Parts: sequence; C-alpha cells; structure tokens
Amino acid sequence: MTGAIVTMENVTKLYEQGKIEVRAVDNLTLTIQKGDFAALCGPSGSGKTTVLNLMGGLDLPTEGTIHIEQQNLSELSRSQISNMRRDRIGFVFQSYNLIPVMTAYENAEFVLKLQGVPEKQCHERVMNILAEVGLQGLEHRRPDELSGGQQQRVAIARAIVTRPAIVLADEPTANVDSVTADALLDLMQELNRVERTTFLFSTHDQRVMDRARRLIRLRDGRLEQDEVRA
Amino acid sequence: MRVTLFAWRNLWRRKRRTLITGFSIGFGIMLAVTFTGTGDYGYTNMINAGANMGFGHVTIERQGYNLSPGLDKPVENSEQVRDIVLKIEGVNNAYVRIMGQAMFASANKTVGGMFLAVHPKEESAEHNLFIRSMVSGEMLSSSDNRDVVIGTHLAKKLNLRLGKKLIYTTTDANGEIVSAISRVTGIFETGVKEIDGGLVMLPINTVRNQIGYKNDEATLVAALVNDQRYTQAVRDRVARRLNAKNVEILTWKQTQGDMAGIVAMDRGSNYISQILIGLLIAAGIFNTLLMSVLERRREFGIMMAVGMTPATLFKLIMTESLWLAAVGIIFGVIITTPWYWYLYNIGIDFTGAIGDDYSAGGVLVDPVMKIRLFKESIISILSGVFLLTLASGLYPAWKAGHIPPVQSLMQR
Ligand SMILES: Nc1ncnc2c1ncn2[C@@H]1O[C@H](COP(=O)(O)OP(=O)(O)OP(=O)(O)O)[C@@H](O)[C@H]1O
Ligand SMILES: [Mg+2]
Repeated sequence: MTGAIVTMENVTKLYEQGKIEVRAVDNLTLTIQKGDFAALCGPSGSGKTTVLNLMGGLDLPTEGTIHIEQQNLSELSRSQISNMRRDRIGFVFQSYNLIPVMTAYENAEFVLKLQGVPEKQCHERVMNILAEVGLQGLEHRRPDELSGGQQQRVAIARAIVTRPAIVLADEPTANVDSVTADALLDLMQELNRVERTTFLFSTHDQRVMDRARRLIRLRDGRLEQDEVRA
Repeated sequence: MRVTLFAWRNLWRRKRRTLITGFSIGFGIMLAVTFTGTGDYGYTNMINAGANMGFGHVTIERQGYNLSPGLDKPVENSEQVRDIVLKIEGVNNAYVRIMGQAMFASANKTVGGMFLAVHPKEESAEHNLFIRSMVSGEMLSSSDNRDVVIGTHLAKKLNLRLGKKLIYTTTDANGEIVSAISRVTGIFETGVKEIDGGLVMLPINTVRNQIGYKNDEATLVAALVNDQRYTQAVRDRVARRLNAKNVEILTWKQTQGDMAGIVAMDRGSNYISQILIGLLIAAGIFNTLLMSVLERRREFGIMMAVGMTPATLFKLIMTESLWLAAVGIIFGVIITTPWYWYLYNIGIDFTGAIGDDYSAGGVLVDPVMKIRLFKESIISILSGVFLLTLASGLYPAWKAGHIPPVQSLMQR
C-alpha cells in the first residue's frame, strides 16, 4: 500500500463559458500523500478551486480518473460520494463556511449529526475540538457573533472533528488579517503534526506558501511545479 | 440530524416573509371557511326548507308518479309504509300525504293550484313549512272535516277570509271530476308568491273520500331525515327495508329537480372559487419556498460539501414547508375563529340587497347570510391547505438538492 490519499490521473476539466470552452484543469496528474501539508498555488484562474472541487467529488472530471483512498470516484453514486465526503473529507472554504442559524457548537457538530454519532459522544468530541481550535467559551455564539478568524476556526473544527483522511481548504486565510492567518496556519500545522491530518489548501499568499511542506504550483490548469521541502 | 428543529429555525430567519406567507395561508383558510360555511349552511337550509314543502327529503311514491304525477297513482298501504319508515335509522319523521292539482273557487273567481292533504294531528310545524308560516286562524283540526288552510295570496285572489267557503274541484282516481266544499280555518304566508297563491292544505281522509281512495292510500309518504347530508344513505335503507314493487323511493334531488339544479350549480361555482383561492395561495407559498431555497444556495452547497445528501436536503425543505403550513393554519384558526363566530351567530343581513322574499328553485332564501361548517368540511379545508403547502414545497425541495454544489458554492 502506498500512502496515497488522493490520486488524480490525467484529469481534464472543461467548462463552457458561453461559447468558449475553458480548460480549468488540463491533463493533470497529482498524488496527495498521507500526512501532506501541501499548498496549491498559482495565479487567479489557474484551476486551484477546480482541483479541490474535483478531489472532493463536488464536481466530475471531463476526462481522467480520481481515486480517494483507492476508490474510483466515477464508480460511486451521488449518495456514495456524499457519504464519502461526510466520512473521509473535510472542507473549508474562503468565507461564509457556516450555517447562519446554528451556533458554533452546532456548526461543529453538524457532520457528526449527519453521521449519526450518539449525542454523548458528539458532545465530548465537539467540546474537545472547539477547545483545540481555541474557541472555548464561544460555543453558543452564532456565526454573526464571531470574528472572521473565529468563524474559520469553527469551519476547521467542523472539518477535522470527524477525523477525515484529508482536509481540502480553498483559500482558508484569504479573508482574514495576517495575524489571524498566521494563527489559523499554526492551528492547521499543529493538527497536521499531532493528529497527522492531511491538509491541502489553495492560496495566493506567499507567506502561506512559505509554511507549506509541499508546494504545488499550477498554471492554466497544468502542473508547473511540485516541490517537497525538508 | 434533527431536521425538524433545524427546519423550524430556518423558517424564522426571514420572520417577516414567514409571517406574511403564514398570514396569507390563514387568510385563504378564512376565505375557504366562508365559502364552504355559507354553502354548508345555505344548502342545508335550502334543502330542508324544500323538504318541508311536501315531499320530504326522501319520498315514497307509486312507480311513475314522479315523471307524470296523477291521482291515479296511489301508494297502497301508505299508513303501514309510514310505520315501517319511521323505524328506519336516520329518519326523523314521516308523513302520509296526498298531493294533487285542483281548481279553487270562491263566489268571485276560480284559480288553479295544488292541494296537500295531510293528517293534521301528525303534522308538525318543524317539518311543515305551511304550519310554520300560519299568519291567521288555526291549523286543520282533524283528518276528516271540511276545513282548509290557504295562502295569503290565494285568499286575496279569491277574496277569502277566515270562515269563508272555498270550493275545490279535482279529478278522482278514476278520472271523474269531483268537487267539494270547505271552510277556511287558517291562512299562511311563506313569502314565495307561487305557493302563497296556489297551494292549500286539506284533511287527508276527506280528500280520500272525495277522490275515491281507500283509507290507506295516498300519493306519497314523505320522510324527513335527521341530517340532509345522509339523505342518499337513508333512501337506500328505506329501499332495502320496503323492498316493494310498484313504488319508487326518491330523494329531494329527484322530486325537486329545480332546486337540486340550483344547489349543484352553486356548489360547482363554489368549488371553482375555492380552487382559484387555493391556487393563489399555493403560488404564494411556492414563491416563498423557492426564494428561500435560491437565496440559501451557498449554504446548501456547504452542507452538501460536508456530506449532506440531496435526500436529506429534500427532507429539510419539505419540513420547512410543513412548518409553514402549520404556521398558516394557526394564523388561520386565529383570524377565522372570531369571523366564524360572528357569521355563525349573527350573520350578515342582505335584506337591503335582495329583499326578504327572494326565492330560488321555489324555496325561500334567507336574506341573512349565516355560516356553519360540517366536520368533514373542516377536515377537508385543513387537509387541503396542508396538501397544497406540501405540493408547493416539492419543487423547491427538489431544486435544493439538485443545484450542483459547485455552482452553489460560487454564490456568495
Ligand atoms: N462553474 C464554472 N463554469 C465555467 N467556468 C468555470 C467554472 N468554474 C471555474 N471556471 C473557470 O475555470 C478556470 C479555473 O477556475 P478556478 O476557480 O479553478 O481558478 P482558481 O485558481 O481557483 O482561481 P482564483 O485564484 O481566482 O480562485 C477559470 O478560467 C474559471 O473562469
Ligand atoms: Mg479559487
């Protein structure tokens, strides 16, 4: 067994924009290994979001195959993909990650509820995770009562509370100030180090790239550089 | 996932919109109650009033009488038939009667009309419009004397007063012309001109003698039911119980075709109005739900990204529409109750608009509009609103789960 969590082989994704065809991802082959703390970078429009969406099964490739933990995504049904996302993948987006009517606690609990985890166990895990991401005491706040950085922490808590195989984060620090961004990265790094959670995040920010242990650079949907640092 | 609670909270994210939609559902309930209530009340009144004019709700007649009435078609053993009918479940009372055409003459004038021959002792004001409408004199006192009760209009036409003589002429069971003299003991006024001017009540045994009927023959036995809604069921029971050749058992729909036609038409237009109201309200609910789905696309995208299935999303939106229905029904009950109470107890007086002698299908219509709802109408209104809301939720709920997550996520 290799340590591959996600593999993309010769994946192409075409989008129609009116009459023009856009190659958002162009014949991309890429493997994310267990324990990676990888940054996906590249200019705007280079295909970062598309890659993350494809890996999470939110979108289907036009060509090529994607495996997640040895499962071929194209062989799974819609609900199987849903369940796979629920159980094996954590998603964090740039902003507006949370469900507005729910408290921080309930947002973090959401996926566990979907999984049908018993109440008592839920409570314990959610309280631990919220403490871990530094939100102790804020459990009962609604998203609009939290700062942008705190909201992202809740999103990260929700993504990792299920102990997923991989967390896919699309520009998780783009909407927060640099101090908060640093703190969020500290948090993810810590989770990666202590829990061995695999992270793949997209970013524009050079300082964020500097902290990644692996840098994957895209241009026009193609792999330009894949560099693993010591 | 506690979808129920989640859905409830979602509903109140847009308080004003939910309240407005809830109110419009409630208003729809109020309209539906008003329409159905006036129908339930009005038809019942009309049908009962019609039944009190001679034929009852269920009529037992000689085969063929209904198509071409004539004194040559008596029901035999009518008194016995009545005894049997009286014991049938749902029958409130039954009356043996002879109905026929006659000429009525005074010293001055002759007019044509109908007579209704009855057992005065057995008749009751409750089931006999003419007794109820007496304005002067007395009801007939026995089945065998020479008394007659006439309408005001006939009294005027023939220039008759209490105590005066009236001669009636009719053809007997064998087609012979027979005449008899009677004395006016009472005068009634129903408000329906044709009736007040053309109908008289006579003692049945006297008439039997006159027209050559045996002592137990009559043209009809009229049965009054406890509840007009179950007329058909009572009719069927009577038919099974009597099981007699030569007679036919009819309901008011057949004996009073004019009125049945009016009731059916009115009901029909009532249904159409109800359907239109329903559609309007459904459009409102649909709009609310669809808008609430479309503006939450981003959120649904997130929920699906973290593993919620389209099926659960569907359930969520359907639950929201259920809650919306519940809110609407609560509103409906709150605004409809006082309105219903008012119309039920006091009503709206349309005397100014239609006058107090407006009749339809030969039956006087009460100018005071009141309402009354049958239990089954309440059930059908509430379940109608519920189903409508659910149906309006189907598309938005389906839509929520079928917007591709990627597109949902692009929305901010
Ligand atoms: N749903 C879509 N429909 C049509 N075109 C799309 C769609 N999603 C992405 N694209 C196009 O695909 C290309 C890659 O887009 P993508 O969002 O993956 O880039 P990105 O690297 O995430 O950019 P950014 O840094 O601005 O977020 C772009 O040209 C974009 O316009
Ligand atoms: Mg992007």
